[in-house]
Amino acid sequence: MRAPFSNHLNEAAPRMRALIDMLGEDFEYVSILSTDSVGFAMRVSPRVKRLSRETMTTERGHVVRLYRDQCYFEYAFNEFDPDHIEAKAAEIRAAFDRQREVLKAAGIGAYETACLPDEPERLDAAFETERLPETEDLSLLAERFERLARQGMEKGRQLVDLTLSAQSTHICKLFQTKNRDLRQSYVYSEGSIAAVASDGNQVRMAYDGVSGRVGPELFGQAYEDKLDEVLKISEDLMRAERVVPGTYDIITAPDVTGLIAHEAFGHGVEMDMFVKRRALGAEYLNRRVGSPLVTMHEGANCAVDVTSYAFDDEGTPAGDVTEIDKGILKTGICDALSALRLGTKPTGNGKRENFEHKVYTRMTNTVFDSGSDRLEDMIASISHGYLLRGIDSGMEDPKHWGIQCIVSRGYEIRDGRLTGKVIAPVVMTGYVPDLLNSVSMVSPDREIFGTGGCGKGHKEWVKVADGGPYLKARANLG
Amino acid sequence: MKQDKIDVLLNELKTSGASAWEITDRSETGWEFYLIGSMLDQHRVRDVNHVRLKVYSEGSEGKMGSAEGELSPMADRKEMAETIASLLSASRYAQNPQWTLTPPAKAPESVPTACPEVDKVSADYLNAVAHMPRDESADINSSEIFVTKVTRRILNSEGLDVTDTYPVSMAEIIVNARNQAHEIELYRMFRSGSCDATGLQARLHKAMRYGQDKLVAKPTPAVGAMDLVLSTEAALEVYRWYISHLNTAFKYRGYSDWELGVPITEEPGGDRLTLHTRVSLPNSSRNCRFDDEGAWTRDMTLMKDNVPQAFCGPRQFAQYLGISDSFIPGNYAVDGGSAGSAALLQGDYLEVVEFSSFQIDEVSGDMAGEIRLGYLHQDGQVMIVSGGSVSGNMSDFIGSIRFSRETRQYDNYLIPAVTRLKNVSVAGGPDT
Repeated sequence: MRAPFSNHLNEAAPRMRALIDMLGEDFEYVSILSTDSVGFAMRVSPRVKRLSRETMTTERGHVVRLYRDQCYFEYAFNEFDPDHIEAKAAEIRAAFDRQREVLKAAGIGAYETACLPDEPERLDAAFETERLPETEDLSLLAERFERLARQGMEKGRQLVDLTLSAQSTHICKLFQTKNRDLRQSYVYSEGSIAAVASDGNQVRMAYDGVSGRVGPELFGQAYEDKLDEVLKISEDLMRAERVVPGTYDIITAPDVTGLIAHEAFGHGVEMDMFVKRRALGAEYLNRRVGSPLVTMHEGANCAVDVTSYAFDDEGTPAGDVTEIDKGILKTGICDALSALRLGTKPTGNGKRENFEHKVYTRMTNTVFDSGSDRLEDMIASISHGYLLRGIDSGMEDPKHWGIQCIVSRGYEIRDGRLTGKVIAPVVMTGYVPDLLNSVSMVSPDREIFGTGGCGKGHKEWVKVADGGPYLKARANLG
Repeated sequence: MKQDKIDVLLNELKTSGASAWEITDRSETGWEFYLIGSMLDQHRVRDVNHVRLKVYSEGSEGKMGSAEGELSPMADRKEMAETIASLLSASRYAQNPQWTLTPPAKAPESVPTACPEVDKVSADYLNAVAHMPRDESADINSSEIFVTKVTRRILNSEGLDVTDTYPVSMAEIIVNARNQAHEIELYRMFRSGSCDATGLQARLHKAMRYGQDKLVAKPTPAVGAMDLVLSTEAALEVYRWYISHLNTAFKYRGYSDWELGVPITEEPGGDRLTLHTRVSLPNSSRNCRFDDEGAWTRDMTLMKDNVPQAFCGPRQFAQYLGISDSFIPGNYAVDGGSAGSAALLQGDYLEVVEFSSFQIDEVSGDMAGEIRLGYLHQDGQVMIVSGGSVSGNMSDFIGSIRFSRETRQYDNYLIPAVTRLKNVSVAGGPDT
């Protein structure tokens, strides 16, 4: 079935249109993004069970964007009197005036920006899902999780806890201006298993997950398939050694490849950073930044995962951008206001954490393209190095092109063979062009992962997905 | 949520069949300003009300179910009833051993935090940030200012009803420094109650000085193991690791093997850590007098000279551990160590003042961070370095950790100004 659109938003739509008309008397541009997203989050371990109707992206509210005097103002709210929408218009005007007075007193002028276009458009996008989180029978999932958690604890070695998590969110968004009415409805889901083991001297956490732009049907057989894998990872981590710091040949598994994509030329080509001159990428367009084997795509349309929407939070249609083509940096991704400032087109990457937050240029699906080298041949080509699997976290540095990836574990390769020795954790650092130029082999398979979140700096958390094939490269490990 | 609606909600809860319930009603008025240089990128207002509802049901064999969710402040009686019914149904699938909700208690004598209006605090930030001195060598690239007035009310089925209003603010500021060949940036995030203009400007001036050093930094050499000195906000990660091990949830789930009255290490030689909770710290953003469950916070010693004195945290897990009167602290203070800062800055060490992201995993204790700017003190020489990383595990450091007598506050944490970890692994790196 197609995910149904929110009744609350259907009811709110004419009121928000009336608000647009009222504010349109005083402002050159008025848009309202209205959201109503519902879901559930379940976490079950033998020690604690938790059930919530909130996920990272559940929300209900409205944000008005206004333009006057070559500058933009926003007002976010989640309460209004449906019978007196003029009262909300008056509140918004008063808030605008009060802030402008404070700005004037501080002597702060506008960074002049053009007015957004408002071409007529109507869209009613509803993506397929088999089930909805709001009507899901949670009893079956809870029973299954309890059983699997018990099984895992019995099978696993040195485990102190094992948590199975599932969350599913039904996203509904309505974007309106004087001339536009865009609606979208879709469901995404994600799940994970996390095992914590301790031997009295060290504590380690093993993790794996699943995700997709689908309903709770995602949880079908996923956990049964993943449980043994997580227990194996846990055992690997418990016997892991520290890496001897140095520069090594590496093979990145698709999840680590995705982390590199995200931190290297994901954040590095978010073009709101170009506006502020905070990204080196602006100076490297049409120049080589990686080996000819490196091609990278970004966009809600370039894969189907947790953030594959029909339009972004500014009403721009979803895109698919080739950021790097055979090692040459071609373009970045852009929100609508940054596009106006840079004289380019928005790419459908204007995202908010939720209706209360500002739009930034943000990633959606960020993926390396596939190649033709077999994983076996990659391993055989390395005299001493590591196959890196599992991700913990990463950090961007668009201004200097440094990269930090904290990887769960590495499997040693010596003389073209995996030795069985494990290192953990692994801090991979380097200079982005050095890392990408060192890519010498790329596998044909490709996987995408959407279980993580992404911050801008240290805030503004949104859902993203990233991935790619196995890559052979060279990097600093510590 | 307006009182008449709260009354309707209370009536619906009382007739719902729920065995217990909690309501958290949080209203926020937020002013936000986004600057590029000293020009206004855009400005924003948030006027929102979030009502979180947690519903409990009777379980079997000494258990109780619970489920939580958000209720729209516009919800009518019908939607309230539907939400409660949905949560009550869901609660049956999340059963845990029984615990009791926070009972009403006499308010402490501490004075509520003064809460200036958002326009006044906003003006203070704008004047502090937009008019920072700038010259050819360093300036403010961009800044984001968030000023919020929070009113939080918590009610529960035990008869608890507490309300507090307090300020929360945050400024994200990007500093550029440049010479003829390069331009670099440094990232700063300031969190506090209201605006501390003097402190903010002092830290920005320091960042500008660091920026000049980063311009001439050399690649970090592969020095192997070396003492790591932390003298900036990054040190918070070290003390948060201690705090997490004294949290009731962490303890109950088996992630902490610390025991009351038992030293956390037998190794001599390091400074012994003493850690307290605090109801308030000057201008902290966490000066609400009660916690997320409505319990009044108080000053308490969690660890004394490396010996855990108390576990503290969520009430549910506290009761599972046999602690009847717990709370979730908002502010923490670590006592200073045995020596002054100058004494800790002797011999060979690497002082890292800028990381990409310095992290200590609270479960494993694994520490990692890419070096963006450091000062390598070796053989009487000082080398400004960048690139590479530091790594290690907290369990290897707690027996020999040193921290200064002087302390410094970062929002809701008061910690030693200088922290020194022994024999941290340092990987060299390229010049970025």
